[in-house]
Amino acid sequence: MSDKATLNSTDSNQVAQQGAAAPSSLQTRDLSLFYGSNQALFDVNLDIPRNKATAFIGPSGCGKSTLLRCFNRMNDLIDDVSITGEILLDTQNIHADSVDVSQLRRKVGMVFQRPNPFPKSIYENVAYGMRLQGGSSKSIMDERVEWALRSAALWDEVKDRLKESALGLSGGQQQRLVIARSIAIQPSVLLLDEPASALDPISTLKIEELIHQLKNDYTIVIVTHNMQQAARVSDYTAFMYLGKLVEFSETDNVFTNPKEKQTEDYITGRYG
Amino acid sequence: MSIENSQSGWRSWMNSGEPWVWMNAAAVGISIVAVVGIVLLIAVRGLAHFWPADVITIQVETPSGVVRWSGEEIEREVVNLDQFRGASDSSNIDVELEQRLEGLTQVQRVLLKTGNRKATPPDFRWFFDHNIISTVELKDLMVVERSEWGNAYGQLAGIKVNGKHSNLENTSEEGLSALLAQQHKRSASLRKQLLALEDGELSDISYALERLRLDKRKLEIKYAAQPTELENRLVPLAAQEDALRQTYKGYEAQLRDLRQQLKRDSLELTAANGEAIHIEFIDIIQTWQPNAMSVTDKLGHYFRALGAFLTEDPREANTEGGIFPAIFGTVMMVLLMSALVTPFGVIAAVYLREYARQGTLVRIIRIAVNNLAGVPSIVYGVFGLGFFVYFLGGSIDELFFPQALPAPTFGTPGLLWASLTLALLTVPVVIVSTEEGLTRIPRSIREGSLALGATKAETLFKIVLPMASPSILTGVILAVARAAGEVAPLMLVGVVKLAPTLPMDGNFPFLHLDRKFMHLGFHIYDVGFQSPNVEAARPLVFATALLLVVIIIVLNLTAIMLRSRLEKRYKGVES
Repeated sequence: MSDKATLNSTDSNQVAQQGAAAPSSLQTRDLSLFYGSNQALFDVNLDIPRNKATAFIGPSGCGKSTLLRCFNRMNDLIDDVSITGEILLDTQNIHADSVDVSQLRRKVGMVFQRPNPFPKSIYENVAYGMRLQGGSSKSIMDERVEWALRSAALWDEVKDRLKESALGLSGGQQQRLVIARSIAIQPSVLLLDEPASALDPISTLKIEELIHQLKNDYTIVIVTHNMQQAARVSDYTAFMYLGKLVEFSETDNVFTNPKEKQTEDYITGRYG
Repeated sequence: MSIENSQSGWRSWMNSGEPWVWMNAAAVGISIVAVVGIVLLIAVRGLAHFWPADVITIQVETPSGVVRWSGEEIEREVVNLDQFRGASDSSNIDVELEQRLEGLTQVQRVLLKTGNRKATPPDFRWFFDHNIISTVELKDLMVVERSEWGNAYGQLAGIKVNGKHSNLENTSEEGLSALLAQQHKRSASLRKQLLALEDGELSDISYALERLRLDKRKLEIKYAAQPTELENRLVPLAAQEDALRQTYKGYEAQLRDLRQQLKRDSLELTAANGEAIHIEFIDIIQTWQPNAMSVTDKLGHYFRALGAFLTEDPREANTEGGIFPAIFGTVMMVLLMSALVTPFGVIAAVYLREYARQGTLVRIIRIAVNNLAGVPSIVYGVFGLGFFVYFLGGSIDELFFPQALPAPTFGTPGLLWASLTLALLTVPVVIVSTEEGLTRIPRSIREGSLALGATKAETLFKIVLPMASPSILTGVILAVARAAGEVAPLMLVGVVKLAPTLPMDGNFPFLHLDRKFMHLGFHIYDVGFQSPNVEAARPLVFATALLLVVIIIVLNLTAIMLRSRLEKRYKGVES
């Protein structure tokens, strides 16, 4: 109960801050997605506000990860996927012919469910994205790596062993390293696909704190199974069910006063 | 219901799974014993050859009287007499012996390496123990290793230096051996000069002359229609050639002089049968007196002999001397093969696994690749000869080396074609293991790279291939193991019994891919089965086999060590 109380207070705070209308960072227009002949997303229309955290919740298989992976065109990697409708990043259609997928992915970073550091040193993991863009002088690199690691609240833990393998880090550290790796190339959007689901509670807490800080500078979209988590970290929440966007509103509203019966059922634990 | 075991002891033991464990352990044990046994047998029989064995002198009864022989004991065996009584060649069994052997069916005999092949061939003889009257070890018995006709055995009788004859009558024994040591020193230095001249200046000049001839021919082809132009262009070449021939003549005179000097002096031995044997110092490689040597001396001699075996060229139809060209050829061929098969196999595997649309066609290709690994190697040899040597090599000759025709340059078996054929033979192994490595790399790692804006190719080169490198190396290890031991296809595409030159030397372009080469596997076959002197060659077969095994083990261990280092770096990555 006390949990909920604090949540309410912080959330209302932010809503107040946000003021009139946050400009949208990502928008979808009648987005449908098919795996072969199987439709996975049905006419999703969604405006994700800039520099806010937006959570996607819903039962397993509802299409929230699929939707998330649309934003950086990760679904391109899967054969037999076809998409109709539009996705706009800062008003530009990301499926336009002129769009370079690599450039898009540099602007829209992604963190996966399980930590996936490369089998390289901690430093090289963070520097990887920069090196892809041609790299820069060592001092600039060093600076940027330190900045990214500090932003991901990992610097103090790893500053003495930057040259050691990233695989020697704990799961929580690895996940923060992956976040550092993503923000090192300064994207504008950060997609998080259940980033804490494979972590212990303390690591989860650290990731959540991190998200709180990061949303000042990035548009964050997070998929989660954990409704408490969604309530804790997000400003807006989208509830999806069977490939359809059922409800999208400020997190506060969704959790305290859901408009749809389905949302209410899910939140109160009737299914999912 | 009781939880006690209701089955009888035997049944419960069978059902416990224990017998299977024992059977598995036994199978592993037998395999290990077999491998160790084979290697030990080869090692013992091969390495024993270099030990300076004592030389015995025996007196033997023969139909024509008592004869003395000196030689090294090679082996003893018990034989059935019947097989000799009926044989047409029963010279060893005379009537007298027949009487002595009355009632016996089996008899022991001994094989002596009596040497002196020039004076009293053959150099290996069997003697029946019953015929041997006495056996002694003469302290001063000397073994002379000759560059021709094999070893000579006898007692040192004298040395002829520059016409002056020193023998036991006018010189003491110590004086004679001092003289011998001095002569060895002299001939060693002369021989060194001789070799330097032959392998250095002379071979360089003949190489230059051959190139000049080809250049001339090239011009002749190019300016066939313009005789005056041709003449003008040939003038400088002719001048060059004259100069080269002049220097060649000079060196040749030097060479003749050196030979003459080496031939000047000679050594005289008295063989066991009393015959005198003269050996010119040019033929003498080394001399030793095994019966007078201490164990330390013998050890020294042993390792020198082993070293010579590894570093020298073969002599006497490969039955003597070293096997260095074969070692060099084998290693070169395997390295070249690895350098060809690795990129080829990896690129094929990457395409099949990463780029090709997974469907029926790819599945068929994969099955075909797997089946390629099962094609008999001689078939690859035939293919290599037909396609690489005759077709590719022939075309290359016509396009790039018309001046050498009708003598082929690449249109004949050689190192390049042998390596290519073996690369083709082993490429399925590399493809299969690389593909396995690629599939093992978790999707999440690739997605991590792609999500950072890497293209598919960048992900492949920076993340995927480095992570797959241990598997690629596994494939290369298997390929090397298979290729190094392969002989059959090589006989068709580049291996020869005796190569006059190594495939690598100081003349441009340094690595001569068109040259034929020697190979340890083929050397074993050649020495063991094509040799005119079977007894002399047998220990070399074992020694060469041991060396081949050792080389394969060394090549494999290198790759395995490299792989384990890479594995250590990438371990801990899970899907």
